[in-house]
Amino acid sequence: MSAGSTALSVDKRGTGDPRWSVLPDWLRKAARLLLGLVIAALVWEGAVRFLGIKPYYLPRLSAILAAIAATPRAYLDGFLRTLAETLIGFAAGGAFGVLIGIAFFRLRALREMIFPIFVVSQTIPVIAFGALVVLWFGNTLLAKAVIAFYLTFFPVTVNTLLGLETVDPKLVALMKSFGASNRQLLLRLQLPTALPHIFVALRLASSLSLVGAIVGEWFGDTTGIGVLLLQAMFTENVVALWGALLAAALLGTGFYAVIAAAERRLVFWSAQQ
Amino acid sequence: MSAALPSSSLAVQRGVLGAVLLVLCWEALARGLHLPSYVLPAVSEILACVWSKRALLGEAAAYTLFEALVGYGLGCLIGIGFAVSISMLPPLRAVILPVATAVNSVPVVGYSPLILLWFGIGVASKMVMVAMAVSFTVFLSTLAGLDRVDRRAVDLMRSFGAGRLSILWRLRLPTASPLLLAGMRVSTVRSVIIAIITEMLGAYGGLGWVIYQAVMQIDFVQVWSAIFVASAASLSFFGLIGFLERKILFWR
Repeated sequence: MSAGSTALSVDKRGTGDPRWSVLPDWLRKAARLLLGLVIAALVWEGAVRFLGIKPYYLPRLSAILAAIAATPRAYLDGFLRTLAETLIGFAAGGAFGVLIGIAFFRLRALREMIFPIFVVSQTIPVIAFGALVVLWFGNTLLAKAVIAFYLTFFPVTVNTLLGLETVDPKLVALMKSFGASNRQLLLRLQLPTALPHIFVALRLASSLSLVGAIVGEWFGDTTGIGVLLLQAMFTENVVALWGALLAAALLGTGFYAVIAAAERRLVFWSAQQ
Repeated sequence: MSAALPSSSLAVQRGVLGAVLLVLCWEALARGLHLPSYVLPAVSEILACVWSKRALLGEAAAYTLFEALVGYGLGCLIGIGFAVSISMLPPLRAVILPVATAVNSVPVVGYSPLILLWFGIGVASKMVMVAMAVSFTVFLSTLAGLDRVDRRAVDLMRSFGAGRLSILWRLRLPTASPLLLAGMRVSTVRSVIIAIITEMLGAYGGLGWVIYQAVMQIDFVQVWSAIFVASAASLSFFGLIGFLERKILFWR
């Protein structure tokens, strides 16, 4: 799944409009984002009204928002529950991925023994694995987090390993000649070099962990965005289904944006952003 | 992924060793601790089940692979089509890219309840889901590939009187093909998984359906055997596309 990371650098529009330059940067960005959202909402509303799309396929945005406003509690609870599952799974998967990546980098034999198993493990359909996880851990928040973890750790492992391998051996030799310990080598040179690669994987993992949480909820839970989706399907309530989809989109993009912002902070030297 | 894969024979030996060790530990754990099969069945038990239910599993795998393949083909065509039309008609970019990003902001499995409502629980809904999942990845990787073309090479071909189509066919597509094929290879495993996930929410057959039935009957040996077959199916699909990739990209 690592090549999905090509997907992750879409928004690179120029910011050179002189009229806007009097405003601070973040305000300009927020204004542009808001403008984009308003335009999208208007296009949605207008298209449904004037093209006569049946509500069964695409309800009006206002109808969906009204439905969410009518029962905000269910959506809020679902959102927070899924957010918690996603975050725990993501954090565990990210940490495990980086650690295993480092271990694989240090111990070649370990990597050659275990890496193929990891690759094969990723072909196991997550939902089948989910059935087992829910059985092992019960129908708890933890079970969903484990499923999110399972989807998250692999791309992080792969990219950590790739990143560590891009370290210039001459720099390693230089640092060693100044008496750097292995730990210093790792913290001052190897991890910073790998960090841009790791963040590419983390951005991918942010959306994968959400997938894991939602799919995990399909094994019978009572709160969560996945539950809302399923309930809406069973009652054929398309408005509620779109409401849940909007909640998922908000959670997904929000989380992605947070990771991308963290990346800009931490990997400030990278030219990629 | 392949860049991180080892290739020397020692590495292959170690890989095999790792797999054998895993199977042995698994078997010993399951047998030694007398774990009930709903916790962890022994590998031998799973393989025996795969063999004894080979007709059922084979049929289900064929059903799922059919859905995945058709959806995969559709998704590749849609993804490449959109990417090529953007590169032929640059103004389209401002329309297609935001829409594609907005659609993709929802994790793709989130759409499966909706798609099941729209297309019913037959094979059509699974094909649509797979096509959606595949088309976005292929679209972005093709677009990235097409954008990589050297401006000067385009100008050179133009100066020799080449039209847009001929530039597309002789220059842009060959330049884009490594990234395009990498996107296609990554999408293979995904397409099988998406088909199985959608089947679990409602289907008349297929591996996802078999898994769901087995979970309902608490027959976890059958769950594991279906997982085994599903992995084998995705791996062979992955291998097939990887093989085609090497054939097409003979210059690499």
